[in-house]
Amino acid sequence: MFSLTVNGVSHTLDLDGDTPLLWVVRDMLGLKGSKFGCGAGQCGACTMHLNGQPIRTCITPLSAVAGQNITTIEGITPAHGLSPVQQAWEELSVPQCGYCQSGQIMAATALLASNPRPSDADIDNAMSGNLCRCGTYPRIRKAIHRAAELVGQRPRTGALFYEVTTPEVQHG
Amino acid sequence: MAEPIITPDNSLNRRDFLKTSGLASGALLISVALPGCSSLGHKGMVSQQQWQASAWVRIDTDDQVTFVLDRVEMGQGTYSGLVTLLCEELEVEPASVAVEFAEVDSIYNNPLYKLQITGGSTSIASSYERVRIAGATAREMLKQAAARVLNEPVASLRCEQGQVFSANRQPIRYGQLVHLAAVESVPGNLELKQPEQFRYIGKNAQRLDTRGKITGQAQYGIDVELPGMLYAVVSRAPAYGGTVKTYDASAAKAAAGVVDVLEIAAAGRHGIAVVARSYWQARKAQQLLKIEWQTPANAPSDASVWRQYEQDLDQDSGDTLRNDGNFRRAAKQATSQLQAEYRLPYLAHATLEPQVCVVSANRHGMEVWAPTQAPSLARIAAAKHSRYSVDDILVHTTWIGGGFGRRLMQDFVAECAFIADRLQQPVKLIFSREEDTQHDYYRPASLHRLTATFDAQGQLNGWQHRLAHPKVMHWFVPDAAAAQYHFMPKFMFSTLAVAGKLGEGILAPNDTSGYEGANDLPYAIDNLRMDFVHSEPGVPVGYWRAVGHSHNGFVTESFIDELAHQQQQDPLTFRRRLLQQHPRALAVLDKAAALASWGQPLPGCKQGLAIHKSFGSWVAQIADVQVQNGSIRVKRVVCVVDCGVVVNPDIVRAQMEGGIIFGLTAALYGKINLLNGAVQQSNFHDYPLLRLEETPAIEVAIIDSTAEPTGVGEPGVPPLAAAVANAVFVATGQRLRQLPLQLS
Repeated sequence: MFSLTVNGVSHTLDLDGDTPLLWVVRDMLGLKGSKFGCGAGQCGACTMHLNGQPIRTCITPLSAVAGQNITTIEGITPAHGLSPVQQAWEELSVPQCGYCQSGQIMAATALLASNPRPSDADIDNAMSGNLCRCGTYPRIRKAIHRAAELVGQRPRTGALFYEVTTPEVQHG
Repeated sequence: MAEPIITPDNSLNRRDFLKTSGLASGALLISVALPGCSSLGHKGMVSQQQWQASAWVRIDTDDQVTFVLDRVEMGQGTYSGLVTLLCEELEVEPASVAVEFAEVDSIYNNPLYKLQITGGSTSIASSYERVRIAGATAREMLKQAAARVLNEPVASLRCEQGQVFSANRQPIRYGQLVHLAAVESVPGNLELKQPEQFRYIGKNAQRLDTRGKITGQAQYGIDVELPGMLYAVVSRAPAYGGTVKTYDASAAKAAAGVVDVLEIAAAGRHGIAVVARSYWQARKAQQLLKIEWQTPANAPSDASVWRQYEQDLDQDSGDTLRNDGNFRRAAKQATSQLQAEYRLPYLAHATLEPQVCVVSANRHGMEVWAPTQAPSLARIAAAKHSRYSVDDILVHTTWIGGGFGRRLMQDFVAECAFIADRLQQPVKLIFSREEDTQHDYYRPASLHRLTATFDAQGQLNGWQHRLAHPKVMHWFVPDAAAAQYHFMPKFMFSTLAVAGKLGEGILAPNDTSGYEGANDLPYAIDNLRMDFVHSEPGVPVGYWRAVGHSHNGFVTESFIDELAHQQQQDPLTFRRRLLQQHPRALAVLDKAAALASWGQPLPGCKQGLAIHKSFGSWVAQIADVQVQNGSIRVKRVVCVVDCGVVVNPDIVRAQMEGGIIFGLTAALYGKINLLNGAVQQSNFHDYPLLRLEETPAIEVAIIDSTAEPTGVGEPGVPPLAAAVANAVFVATGQRLRQLPLQLS
């Protein structure tokens, strides 16, 4: 039995401890926004936040994150409207096929949370582990700068994260 | 809802409407002519609330317009593009339109292929009139209906924002009119808007499909979930055509969650499928399989592929696809010649969503959910590998996590249908990244030999291009031929496949995949010959973004650059002189040269230029490249495109940006190696994609044009590698004639 808090909801899961977090979240919790791309931590499509830090969930076993706080793309999406990062993404029509974009947005959100005014070099460092086959990189770069502006315009509290809290859920 | 719905048999509603509209009451004759069952697929009212105006358009009594998208959206922007076309004529706001993905129906066939497929950068070109006609037809029928209500001539009415306006009365919403419009006759003549009347076409608008993709709500193939669904993974023979010699599944069968382990043979590939209650259980059990493979004799390796290409080029004169003047005589009389050999490798598609399919099979039939570029072929693949006939199979398409041609092949559907048919349960099949890389239908490797001749004055007067390459269509036609004749009994499918393969040019279109972009070389050269040598190493091949242009763009634009330098001429001036008959080519070249400040590279850089026409569109690119410590770094790419009328300039720019990055990945990294039929690359560590930090600054300009719209999804790719290689030559003096580019 493992317990896990995902987007503010705590879950108890009867699963093998070696099950990658990605498949736990996608198939057991039904949150499909995080994607499978490589299974080897090489593409970033599966990026979620562990206590606010971006992690590659396709290679993160459930046992390693038991009892901790996980945030997914669904968790940073406000009930109404969009987060500043998502808003910038929409303004600039960043996605093409869109498959990598939840991972890109999770990586960009974590970057902006720790560095509200990232330089191009900061963006290179933070984003180069997230692959995009369609080649949306130039727009990702622009959108991160735009999101930084938008964050700057918002009140400081809860600018980047929107988490819901509901009662515990048991799975297994 | 403020105003009532008006129906032919509901005069009360009509009276209410007239009252609320402040109209004088009076008898209204409503023609109830039966709807013309036109080629548009007009069905009339399909429920109390819904008018099916055509196969593409449905309008509800609550004003909701639904567009049935008959092309798939895999990132190229078709969704936004076709909705824009519809809205331009129907006069509704694009953002208000709901979109459904089409089921398989011959009415949705791509007229260029007579198949329901998305490929060849044809969606806008093939839909530009058809979708606007669908919009205009519905609009005219709504106007005709309004004309009867208002007792005014149709010509006095106009439509805007989902409403019909008359000079004196208050506007009527489309939703109010659908019952009446549904029984209007389909207009015989339509006038489509002129470009100066466009409200949406040609404007920079945000894409319409972004929201679901940035919130995680868009449902891709991998996200489809059915009650009781099982998960399948397949271990496939490493070499194409390989079989299972022996296998021991006892440990895998005993593993937690495993439901079944079965031998599978689908789409020419043999393997062992493990089916479990969860994906991870299936993957873990797969590791416990013990399989001995039978590798076919002569399974291809890199060395044998190149040897075969060389021999075929040496011994086979090939098909001459272009023969202007007399190259042989020019060669005999030439005072000097330049010869070069170019080699390009096999390439994987590497879509970020790996191949995936969900199939449900039971006694009623089969349902397929697939991120496929070819739903009509998916249905054939599912039928061929199951007990079901084509009519008992329903195919749903999903959002697609990258296509690039990979999903024109239906192997993933065939395999999943095979497994679900055996189990009679819903099954999701997911390729791992390694399986996806190693069991692709690759962009073919190709070998090119070029010769240029110069006359006594030193003028270029001859060009010969001979290339060895397989036929991609041979791998595509088994499902495609059957899809064209889907009404034939299933046992005929294999005969159709053979007929399609043998009947190239008669039953099937010519396979241009090897030579497109080579036989139509635009340069004015008196003696010009192009020979295609069909060479078949047995490696599974498929359509890859830009197809033949992906190799021929590199080869022809590198070789012409070699000739310019050999002649000690500026590569831009040299090309311009040979392109005088192509004003559109000159325009993109000149604009690119101006934007890139040709001749004044960025600090530390050298410039390279290339121009190539593909899928009807001209693209010129200038790369500013820095070579440092033997590594090639592209700092900036300027790109100018002429693709005729533009539906959404921002999407055109996005496709050029994406094409450049796709092309740069191939130029710097792309290579698939084979050893005894087995692909040596596996994941992104050994089949790398360009990363954000390596991405050059990209500047895209679009030529203003009223010419018919041409392709956008692919034409950004072909010139890129040549532009970079041409810059590398200036920087280093090394002419790189192989991809990926590697300095010695």
